[in-house]
Amino acid sequence: MSVQVVAAKMAEVELKDVSTGKNLSADSAATSEDKTLGGRNEPQKEAGSSAPAATSPAAEPSAKAGEGSRGLLTPSAVKMPQASAMKHTDPQQNGGEAFVNRDGTVAEAPRMKKIQFADQKQEFNKRPSKIGRRSLSRSISQSSTDSYSSAASYTDSSDDETSPRDKQQKNSKGNGDFCIKNIKQADFGRREIEIAEQEMPALMALRKRAQGEKPLAGAKVVGCTHITAQTAVLMETLSALGAQCRWAACNIYSTQNEVAAALAEGGFSVFAWKGESEDDFWWCIDRCVNVEGWQPNMILDDGGDLTHWIYKKYPNMFKKIKGIVEESVTGVHRLYQLSKAGKLCVPAMNVNDSVTKQKFDNLYCCRESILDGLKRTTDVMFGGKQVVVCGYGEVGKGCCAALKAMGSIVYVTEIDPICALQACMDGFRLVKLNEVIRQVDIVITCTGNKNVVVREHLDRMKNGCIVCNMGHSNTEIDVASLRTPELTWERVRSQVDHVIWPDGKRIVLLAEGRLLNLSCSTVPTFVLSITATTQALALIELYNAPEGRYKQDVYLLPKKMDEYVASLHLPTFDAHLTELSDEQAKYLGLNKNGPFKPNYYRY
Amino acid sequence: MSETAGEAKPEVKQASKEVKESENVAEKYSAMTVSKNSDINMGELASVFSAVPTHKPVKKQIQFVEEKQEFSRFPTKTGRRSLSRSISQSSTDSYSSAASYTDSSDDETSPRDKTQINSKGSSDFCVKNIKQAEFGRREIEIAEQDMSALISLRKRAQSEKPLAGAKVVGCTHITAQTAVLIETLVALGAQCRWTACNIYSTQNEVAAALAEKGVAVFAWKGESEDDFWWCIDRCVNTEGWQPNMILDDGGDLTHWVYKKYPNVFKKIRGIVEESVTGVHRLYQLSKAGKLCVPAMNVNDSVTKQKFDNLYCCRESILDGLKRTTDVMFGGKQVVVCGYGEVGKGCSAALKALGAVVYVTEIDPICALQACMDGFRVVKLNEVIRLVDVIITCTGNKNVVTRDQLDRMKNGCIVCNMGHSNTEIDVASLRTPELTWERVRSQVDHVIWPDGKRVILLAEGRLLNLSCSTVPTFVLSITATTQALALIELYNAPEGRYKQDVYLLPKKMDEYVASLHLATFDAHLTELTDEQAKYLGLNKNGPFKPNYYRY
Repeated sequence: MSVQVVAAKMAEVELKDVSTGKNLSADSAATSEDKTLGGRNEPQKEAGSSAPAATSPAAEPSAKAGEGSRGLLTPSAVKMPQASAMKHTDPQQNGGEAFVNRDGTVAEAPRMKKIQFADQKQEFNKRPSKIGRRSLSRSISQSSTDSYSSAASYTDSSDDETSPRDKQQKNSKGNGDFCIKNIKQADFGRREIEIAEQEMPALMALRKRAQGEKPLAGAKVVGCTHITAQTAVLMETLSALGAQCRWAACNIYSTQNEVAAALAEGGFSVFAWKGESEDDFWWCIDRCVNVEGWQPNMILDDGGDLTHWIYKKYPNMFKKIKGIVEESVTGVHRLYQLSKAGKLCVPAMNVNDSVTKQKFDNLYCCRESILDGLKRTTDVMFGGKQVVVCGYGEVGKGCCAALKAMGSIVYVTEIDPICALQACMDGFRLVKLNEVIRQVDIVITCTGNKNVVVREHLDRMKNGCIVCNMGHSNTEIDVASLRTPELTWERVRSQVDHVIWPDGKRIVLLAEGRLLNLSCSTVPTFVLSITATTQALALIELYNAPEGRYKQDVYLLPKKMDEYVASLHLPTFDAHLTELSDEQAKYLGLNKNGPFKPNYYRY
Repeated sequence: MSETAGEAKPEVKQASKEVKESENVAEKYSAMTVSKNSDINMGELASVFSAVPTHKPVKKQIQFVEEKQEFSRFPTKTGRRSLSRSISQSSTDSYSSAASYTDSSDDETSPRDKTQINSKGSSDFCVKNIKQAEFGRREIEIAEQDMSALISLRKRAQSEKPLAGAKVVGCTHITAQTAVLIETLVALGAQCRWTACNIYSTQNEVAAALAEKGVAVFAWKGESEDDFWWCIDRCVNTEGWQPNMILDDGGDLTHWVYKKYPNVFKKIRGIVEESVTGVHRLYQLSKAGKLCVPAMNVNDSVTKQKFDNLYCCRESILDGLKRTTDVMFGGKQVVVCGYGEVGKGCSAALKALGAVVYVTEIDPICALQACMDGFRVVKLNEVIRLVDVIITCTGNKNVVTRDQLDRMKNGCIVCNMGHSNTEIDVASLRTPELTWERVRSQVDHVIWPDGKRVILLAEGRLLNLSCSTVPTFVLSITATTQALALIELYNAPEGRYKQDVYLLPKKMDEYVASLHLATFDAHLTELTDEQAKYLGLNKNGPFKPNYYRY
């Protein structure tokens, strides 16, 4: 990936961080805001310089670094970035006792939204305190929030400043029911999609297997997700299975314009471009839903914004809707809140918590990205290094396993005795952070908590200690406490800051305490493939379920479907699944085709 | 331990274990020396499940004939459970790590006919020989070293005596580890009466030491069926003493009380059950609406499950193979059938020693996990000709068939870590053209006409039970869980637990884990108030939602 792309991604990540940092406390809110603003400046500058940059990636890093810090140091009072504002709405209006309210940011949220949803606050925007618990393992779904990080848009040069809304939109077949940046990029986008198809064999297999029966024939799916090559593969799969799709973006920055173009050219009604305004965002969603002579009967959502919009504006539509498929933690919680309030009027499927997806989002993904992220940013050698990993949930387990395999000496800190005992049995020393802070070379946080590494710890670290966060938003390391006059910050390269103490000691802070795996690493297409397949199967399940199987509630994907997702990915590994004989199946009291485990099985 | 003892012990053990699985109590006694017999019986496990054995002692049949339906029938669910592991390690095998040194039968009189009196003049017990008490005391002290969790529980809870007034009647293996548990319960204020849940597992000297201390123990090694129920009855049926808590392993005690003294249940606050079998009996009762007190299923607590399966098997696969075959693992090609907790443990251990590990699986989710952990997922047939070691841990039957055994290469080691002795079709090897040669205890060479040898371990029974030991640390986890379950049930406010089967509350589970952290000199981090608030958690746990998978 070119440096330019990295930088662009970085900008997005900053936005995203804020969005995931819903539970930011008031004190760290201010900092994150600075960052957001800084981050917001970046993409614009980036955009301006990207055309040449794309051709000479190697020459860029220093300039990039300069820009990055400039953006940081001049948090000009530009308007609040809409993306974060959008994402903020639910946490802000939170009111949950467990989380400090971010009133500061609420004030900056666009008026429109506030007015529209004032009455909605209670059940739809309140953030359940459960989030905190969830986040122990991992606050957000990798695939949900970061589809784009692995596939940044190459063609976001803003050579054309006209808003797509004002443009004449027409594809080669004369169809104009879409709104994207530039239909001419379609060819390029098609190539992107084809590349993605290579790594998403499960969806391709699903297409083949289910194409004959067209399980989604008659389905009218309205979707709101990141619009990337991977999503495109999903959409085209749905279409191959018989569904009609209309799609909008769930994030104002994540859209790959060329992919959107390719989709539009292929006849999909896509309403998305990179860099939408808040107003554009809702306009796109509205265009998706509000069409003459077309009513959706399925919703595929990521974050709950689409569901929210329909709920508020077109409640009658729910009469025809057979179900909602939701993939993000945020959206799922909104649904649970609705369900609790008795206001959910259709069945909804929570695909976020399916076994396969959870394992891939957390354990497997982080196991790789911790090494990748550290290498890319610091070129550190792991052998013999002393590393402390804070938290031994799925993410912590992944990090520890990877580092141990590289020959590092790994310490673990934990609050939960069961996970602590697991760490012990896996051969890691369980310590308190204070006990090892002076000796370790790397500190990695993955607790989902806040202020795990505080200034006091940072003061006592040894020279050259690397500090990074794999856990949750940017709350785990108290970065704000480092912004004091006696400390010098030096940006040595993109995402890497040296913080220099008066005595010359340096701490290497990565991604300013934001998520390392999002900022400095990529999400493999394979992980996204798991998510997309899960979504497709959830849609099929909901659409084809006999009347009465699903009531007006939030469901987990049936275990059998979960198993099917896994089985579709096995050919990638050339893995050969054993089949039960009839006799064996009878002995075990199982169906030969699954489900193979009781629901409480822990895997 | 002498060679012969080593030889005999596992067989006996196996027999008694099978009893657990088939609920075939009669079998227990006839199988005493006849392990091959039991093999055959187990080969038709399915039929054993559904039918009550016909060769049960008459007495038993008469007593429980009307009970058959809900209490003796083995639910099919067991099959599912057994995917991970059919039985609780700690439940069935406490004794394997601590064989009785004093079981020489110098004294042939039945303990029932002897005068039993300890040094304080109490005679409310029945053990083999009270004179062995001192020796047993030493055993208990050794066990205490490895069970620091129970000892620290004693210290932490001693002043408040959370079990004051509790009258616990228990039926478990009577070993040094159980003794530590019993004495902990006593230290916490409980009165205990104890009996053995297995006719062979009792360590006589430990029973003596307990009796000497004043605990009413009714158990000795080598009881008869009649003795077995007599002991249970003596425990329960006492003048002026009525139990209010039951600690059971296998459900026999619960069963007895249920049938003979249903009135006792009026006073009973709860049942704590640790074995899969017993838990299923309870679930069946509960389903039938016949469970009249709350019951705690400690078998499925997170900590216990992980230790019984993943951690225990991770070590015992290496131990078992080394002890029996002295095989070198580096570079060997191994196929592990099944990638549940046991399979994960085996695969990890073997990989760590440099073996090339293949995995077979039926469940795509577990198969994908195996892929991501770096194991090739294959069908057994694809690799059967290549591999040097075959390990079954599926919980299924006939995973390795004669056809596959025929195609193995010379010197291939075949063993079972999974479930009973059903996984390898050993019966199919008992044909005239094959020669069986016992090369040492638990190791058979099966020789084909062309001279090919297959090394069969423990005759296809569980390797980890037959050829390895269960560490005291694992038993400590179980014992601590039991103690906490008793405390929880006994102190629960009226109405918290209804007449149903419960899992141990997560907080208790976490407490069990935390008590064992000291062993590792592990220092748990505490949440600050601010952090706890941020996470929406109580500072003292529970830290995870119930559906968390660990």
